[in-house]
Amino acid sequence: MSSAPQIEARRPIGVNAKHLRWLLVVPLTIFFVVFFVVPVGLIFATSFNPQTIGQVSVTWDLTLENYVRFFSRSNYLMAAGRSVLLATLVSLITLVIAYPMAFVIAKTENAARNTVLLILVLAAMQLDMVIRIYGMMVILGDNGLINQMLAALGITDPDQPVQFMYNFLGVILGLVQFSLPFMILTLVGVIRGINPSLEEAARSLGATPRRTFLRVTLPASLPGILSGSLLVFALSISSYIVPALMGGFRVGVLPIHIFQQVAEGARFQFGATIAVILFLISAGAVTVYLRVGARHSGGLA
Amino acid sequence: MTIKKTTQTRRSFLKRGVALGAASTVPSTFYINHAWAQDTSYDGGMFDADGATLNVGEWGGGWEEFVRKALTDQFEQDFNCKINWDSSFPWFPKFVTQGAQDPVYDICNWNLPNLTQTKQAGDFFLTTDEVRANVPNAADCWDFAFASGAGVTWAYMPYVYAFRTDAGDAPTSFRDFWDARFANKRGTYGTENGLMHAFFMATAQEFGKDQYDMDAAFQALEDAMPMKVSEFTFNMLSLLERGEVDIAVHIEGEALSLKRKGVPVDVWEWDSHPILTQTKTISRYSDPMQKKLAFALLNRTLSPDFLNAFGDEFMWRPTNSKASITAPLAENGVENTADATKAFWVPDWDFFVENKLDITDRLNQIFGL
Amino acid sequence: MGRKIPLPMLIMAILGFCYMLVPIVIVVLAGLTAGEFLTFPPEGLSLRWVIAFLQSEKYLSAFFFSFRLALMTMIVATIIGTAAALFLSRTRFIGRGAMRAFFLSPVVLPGVVIGFALFAFYISTGIGLTRTIWGLWIGHILYSTPYVIGTVGAALASYDVSLDEAARSLGASPMRTFRKVTLPNISQGIQAGSIFAFIVSFGQFEVSLFLSAPNSEPLPIAMYNSLRYKFDPSAAAAGIFAIMLVTASVLLTNRLVNIRRLLDRN
Repeated sequence: MSSAPQIEARRPIGVNAKHLRWLLVVPLTIFFVVFFVVPVGLIFATSFNPQTIGQVSVTWDLTLENYVRFFSRSNYLMAAGRSVLLATLVSLITLVIAYPMAFVIAKTENAARNTVLLILVLAAMQLDMVIRIYGMMVILGDNGLINQMLAALGITDPDQPVQFMYNFLGVILGLVQFSLPFMILTLVGVIRGINPSLEEAARSLGATPRRTFLRVTLPASLPGILSGSLLVFALSISSYIVPALMGGFRVGVLPIHIFQQVAEGARFQFGATIAVILFLISAGAVTVYLRVGARHSGGLA
Repeated sequence: MTIKKTTQTRRSFLKRGVALGAASTVPSTFYINHAWAQDTSYDGGMFDADGATLNVGEWGGGWEEFVRKALTDQFEQDFNCKINWDSSFPWFPKFVTQGAQDPVYDICNWNLPNLTQTKQAGDFFLTTDEVRANVPNAADCWDFAFASGAGVTWAYMPYVYAFRTDAGDAPTSFRDFWDARFANKRGTYGTENGLMHAFFMATAQEFGKDQYDMDAAFQALEDAMPMKVSEFTFNMLSLLERGEVDIAVHIEGEALSLKRKGVPVDVWEWDSHPILTQTKTISRYSDPMQKKLAFALLNRTLSPDFLNAFGDEFMWRPTNSKASITAPLAENGVENTADATKAFWVPDWDFFVENKLDITDRLNQIFGL
Repeated sequence: MGRKIPLPMLIMAILGFCYMLVPIVIVVLAGLTAGEFLTFPPEGLSLRWVIAFLQSEKYLSAFFFSFRLALMTMIVATIIGTAAALFLSRTRFIGRGAMRAFFLSPVVLPGVVIGFALFAFYISTGIGLTRTIWGLWIGHILYSTPYVIGTVGAALASYDVSLDEAARSLGASPMRTFRKVTLPNISQGIQAGSIFAFIVSFGQFEVSLFLSAPNSEPLPIAMYNSLRYKFDPSAAAAGIFAIMLVTASVLLTNRLVNIRRLLDRN
């Protein structure tokens, strides 16, 4: 794709070039400080103010009562645990399902086939989540296609359908369906970027395809795996509508509580408290994950 | 009550001074006589607003498309004004964040639980009496149109059970929802949903001494588990259509529209007759011209012409005694007469909002959230 | 092809595609119903709801508003996100990991927190962004950029830096090296990132709730508003229209790229 670089006058890499690099990150940093750190920081700060309906700005009336409230109620604690468990499981499952799909897309050289596969992945992202969950319900509901099939085969009693949704399982199934395209597209780029000569070398040295895959391809795609599963983790832990609808509003996760407090109750201080806790939990999980990931990928990510 | 940060204009500063002085002690009726309750009046005629902009908060999508065609497009021409329509609906947090002195909308359309929350959080709206005095068409409205204390209700529909007609006998009492045959086949809504709030109040009324008997309601709802809990009416209608639920808390018009389309469902109106309402409020601290336009728009909203057209489209019933019930409902014997509307019940939303924190907690617990 | 893709892998991929696509196919078929309401199996197939969608001024204007917003968001997010990802992958300094995590952090918060925080911020500072398209745009960029950083970062991490060094040692300027060597090699990652930015913005509901401006209703809010009281397939029809649009644009891009390749060869 690229033509051979032409020889130009050599320019040594000076100190300037290195400093200029920081310019790359300046726009985003400024943007984030002004529109993320300050606004979200102010909201987070209100979590230390007493709960007053409608009060928005930070005051010096400091208290820990919101945190006490959070930690003294088992349903919030359970929701926190559930949120982390959910996001972790969804990342794992999505990875396992998405990797073969991404691999097939990356290795399909026929341009037409490749385009079709790409369109399929993109099409999967185009439906509004609310309406997509309708499709999930047709399949997984008590009267859904799977339960109808099970009943027709005499495996289950039609009056005792298997509960694929309206519970934790349903939330996982919904979030995995939602996350798949994100994981796939992240992985495809990375798998394609793997130098093919590495795989060929392994093969020519007599490695079986399986061995080649496990020893060469998989390790080389670790940056994609790390990055993709982080995205999916973030998507899942912050999702409101999928747990609400697939969980039949009976699976408590932190975003549901946040939505209730902020958008519906205008109880900003307590909403902020839950958001702070969600943020800290996620940050903790991500840090652990990056540490572990860095060890296994030799610091690639 | 706290005064929020707003952009300091001289006008809002002046307003705030008075608001501060008054807010500390008095209920909202006090305001009837203060300076800017009287700064605008409207007599029902047309006037030239000189290109002013009216900020409207009202549902969007197909609703907006219809209301614009049937009402506001003409209104803009007649009054030489521009309607700024906003449908991003968490009105309550928006109002309280921006503060009473800097209203997000000049005129806003509400469900009552949210309206009441906002009303209790500050001096946001003109009282019902102040509005009535300036909206001539309100004179023709039934009494329950003024139950909110702020604004005027223009449309309503009764709460019902929507049920599948192919799932056994039709319900004949409110308690049929609790029948063993509906275990995990009964549907209601999430903790913060307006339909759930109404169901809660009706349950208290039915199972307790009166609508204030919260413990009875909590107990009854606990007994109703397992339920399927949904988040909004579309989702519930799809649960009904797929047979995931056989009976669901719903509202008349939407459930009937499903029936009209051929789905085997029907409705049973609760015998306590609570109603879901659409109520428009006018913001106390809007500028005089905006306030005058808001009166005019509310007046047109209450006109029989618009209410009839709206009823035909969405099957809402009008609160105006001179408007008529849409044909599909009228065929079922629904009437717009003093006798027929006497039984309607607007739950005590003030009580509900005062106890909302407890109710939310307990409902979350019951649902397992 | 058979040799490159082991059979078990292929089977798993096919199952994966089924899982991902069956709900979509069901909604599409349900949206193509000739009947009055959303149902599956559909009562006969027709395009009536797609046509109804296209004839609705409201939906169409919401659709194109969201489309424009997503495009604007994509452009900014791709540029500043790619730049930041380049910096993060090329510069070693203490706190690099923390900085990366920092840039990814908006997405772990539910959209309603970001939306509300910005809303309150705009009001208290009075900088004139409250409920304007610019304020909304900022929220969308904030929520979309992390996806770009994630995918471009991943592409850069697996990218062989020695290619750059080779080009540089042959005397290519940094800019030229970037354009001719680095960029083509990470283009997959950038593409994926910009697609994410677009999709995340296009489907964004929660962030928009507090930030959207009067008279410019984003599609997800228009949909939600309609779904509140109407049980018809218009939301599915909107999805069908979006799928047709994305298919057309992929085909068109491919055609354009192919033509350019042909021209390059000559």
